[in-house]
Amino acid sequence: MFKKNIAAVFLLSFLFLAACTDGTNVDSQDGGTESSENGGQQDSIVIGFEGDAATMMANHDVNYTTDTLIRNIYDPLIDRDGQTGEFRPVLAEEWENIDETTWYFKLKEGVEFHNGAEFNAESVKYSIDYILDESNGSYYRSRWTDVEEVVVVSDYEVEIHTSRPFPSMIERITEDLLIMEPGYVEEVGVDQASNEPVGTGAYKFVEWSRDNHLKLEAFDNYWRGEPSIKQAEFRIIPEFSARMSAFMSGEIHLFKNIPVDSVEEIGTDQVGEVPSSRINYLALSNLVDGPLQDEKVRKAINHAIDADELLEAVLNGYGTRITGPLSQLNSNYVETEDYPYDPDLAIELIEEAGYSPEDLTLTLDTPSGRYPMDSHIAQAIASQLQNIGIEVEVQVNEWGNHLEKVQNRETGDMFILGWGPAFEPQSTIENLFTQEAPYSSFYDEELEEKIFETNALFDEEARFDGYAELQHELVEKAAWVPLWQQADLYAIDESLDFTPRVDEKINVFEMTWE
Amino acid sequence: MLDFIVKRLLQVIIVVFLALTVVFFLIRLSGDPTTLFLPPDAPREQIEEYREQLGFNRPLYVQYGEFMINAVQGDFGQSLRSGEDALGLVMQRMPATFQLAFAALIVSMLIAIPLGVLSAYKRNTLFDRVGVGLSVVGQAIPNFWFGLILIFIFAAQLQILPSSGGGSISHMILPVITLALYSISRFVRFTRSAMLDVLNQDYIRTSKAAGATTSSLIMKYALKNSLIPIITLVALDLGVLLGGAVVTEVVFSWPGVGRLLHQSLLNRDFPIVLAGVFIIAIIYAVINFIADVLYAYVNPQIRVK
Repeated sequence: MFKKNIAAVFLLSFLFLAACTDGTNVDSQDGGTESSENGGQQDSIVIGFEGDAATMMANHDVNYTTDTLIRNIYDPLIDRDGQTGEFRPVLAEEWENIDETTWYFKLKEGVEFHNGAEFNAESVKYSIDYILDESNGSYYRSRWTDVEEVVVVSDYEVEIHTSRPFPSMIERITEDLLIMEPGYVEEVGVDQASNEPVGTGAYKFVEWSRDNHLKLEAFDNYWRGEPSIKQAEFRIIPEFSARMSAFMSGEIHLFKNIPVDSVEEIGTDQVGEVPSSRINYLALSNLVDGPLQDEKVRKAINHAIDADELLEAVLNGYGTRITGPLSQLNSNYVETEDYPYDPDLAIELIEEAGYSPEDLTLTLDTPSGRYPMDSHIAQAIASQLQNIGIEVEVQVNEWGNHLEKVQNRETGDMFILGWGPAFEPQSTIENLFTQEAPYSSFYDEELEEKIFETNALFDEEARFDGYAELQHELVEKAAWVPLWQQADLYAIDESLDFTPRVDEKINVFEMTWE
Repeated sequence: MLDFIVKRLLQVIIVVFLALTVVFFLIRLSGDPTTLFLPPDAPREQIEEYREQLGFNRPLYVQYGEFMINAVQGDFGQSLRSGEDALGLVMQRMPATFQLAFAALIVSMLIAIPLGVLSAYKRNTLFDRVGVGLSVVGQAIPNFWFGLILIFIFAAQLQILPSSGGGSISHMILPVITLALYSISRFVRFTRSAMLDVLNQDYIRTSKAAGATTSSLIMKYALKNSLIPIITLVALDLGVLLGGAVVTEVVFSWPGVGRLLHQSLLNRDFPIVLAGVFIIAIIYAVINFIADVLYAYVNPQIRVK
């Protein structure tokens, strides 16, 4: 009797606990399984994601995950073509650079927010002012400090005045700015607006269970037309194996970042690949004392590393080689010369510089798990350099530590890093090859002057020539070892029509079920 | 008794204080969070400005002092990333973690206690040896591995259970089994030895001689007496389950405190980590406190000590 009572109490408590659950995921789970069987009638989608957004507030958190999720709710003024990376008008119809410090934007008319409010110039002003207002603590502010004022010219026209020439304004607008509904934020306050967003995007907010899921539904009055997929859910699954299992069982229909060694398991017919605008490189620091201050040694290292072999052997070919500081996706890209793999020439150069390879001991810092196979690449580079006699000590860092080491210039001679999304030369070249910028630890006074001169140019032709020259010179000075553009690998349900974008965005509006 | 309770309560406060202090300094050793939140192209002066705004440029002992003063008032500050109240974010996640921990505890007891009793009763038989052997294996299996194997079998291959997320009973099954595995193994071995202790007592032999049936012998005389230490262990395990579900929560994407802490640690979102540690330390210390008090109530000798 005693035993029976105990058992009954346990059973009841278990049922009670189970009953406490909110029962929210059951539907989508069923939906998921259904889709792989009869994708044709499917009008919902579940997308697996590694991490969750920090907030649903636009223009606040500088983070790929947050941005990608909320871009389905908010629209930008301008975005990019998914394949070429070129600017494409969204809520801004036209834009023009009136003078060096004034930008003009003509806005789209007849666009509605999810709460019925009308999109106009005031909403653009409000969204930019949100970034600029220090009390909001937006992490985007550092990029916008040159903006002096946003002037509403008419209901559908705005001007942005900057305190100094700001040639990368369109880049900033495209990458950072999403349009908020001023009336809504004012009415409910930032706290609520950060949890229940209202935008003009293709999808309306339904429910956000942190670190669990974000549910959205199609916005019928969307200005680009009714979205074909009616319900969208982003499900947060941090563990890759769990994400893959969820995909295999049909619970989720799409996820990004398949490790290159798992492509086969998923099956190549369900894998979508696109060369990302993010580039990976081996930085050669000439700011720390050591042999790398000598151009000849840097050239030697370029000759001693066989990037094609690394790409084939470690990344199974998933990546696109680059030879200069920019990828082909950048505006103003020019083809630069490559340093062919030539270990003998490398040894010769090192000897010319007054060293012998056996005397050299270099350090190589690498993050682990930040970029595809990053620490494996570092090991492989070390072994290629060891082939010509250079001793390399590989230091593997947790990502946060790695970034901090790079930013505080605490790394040794070489480090592995990625840079992206990179579509225009200014931010890449300025942030990588000037004295202030820590991300390549390469600095050359003459070159820096040229970089600043070119950045300030407004004439397109002169700008192109300036950047072309810079690209050649950076290669000539062996500023770093360019490796490749990462390949973004997506697992895509067979019946889902989705073409991965070069800017890594995941816009449900662009997807359809076949 | 009152003296005893006051002393134990003081201990709770000291435990929580020490836990917060250790974690505060450890997490600072991991570096400065500002660089992780700002865009990579943020200029140096901007980084400095944010550091000043967030107070990270002040001496560590000043930051610690201010943190403790605020913490005593229940203010752990705002999440560095989202700007929301850190303690509030942790509290939002507590129900999911409680749910998983209690379910795992109940499952462990339902399975482990009968197994332990049977093992003890049939000691040195094949059943006993296999049971003890399996429980050693169960304790040795890392739960992230076990979790992934369960996902692979039941979600990817058989497709009868969801692999991740929270929300329904079916979502609970795999994480509960994963989390319960360790406790089951512990409980089986503990119940077995507690029962063996009791079964060797004279009064058991006497009752046997007096003609008590096997079931009444176990249920009425043996189990009741060995339950007291088992209940203490169960209470302590609940603390472990509540605080130690991090790995299970990450593997199964369970939206509990463990996931939040894991993510916040990687993001260096200090206020959330400290608020989470505070809550877990309090729960753990309070459960211990209750177990101590109950024990003292049942067994006055402990009070005297």
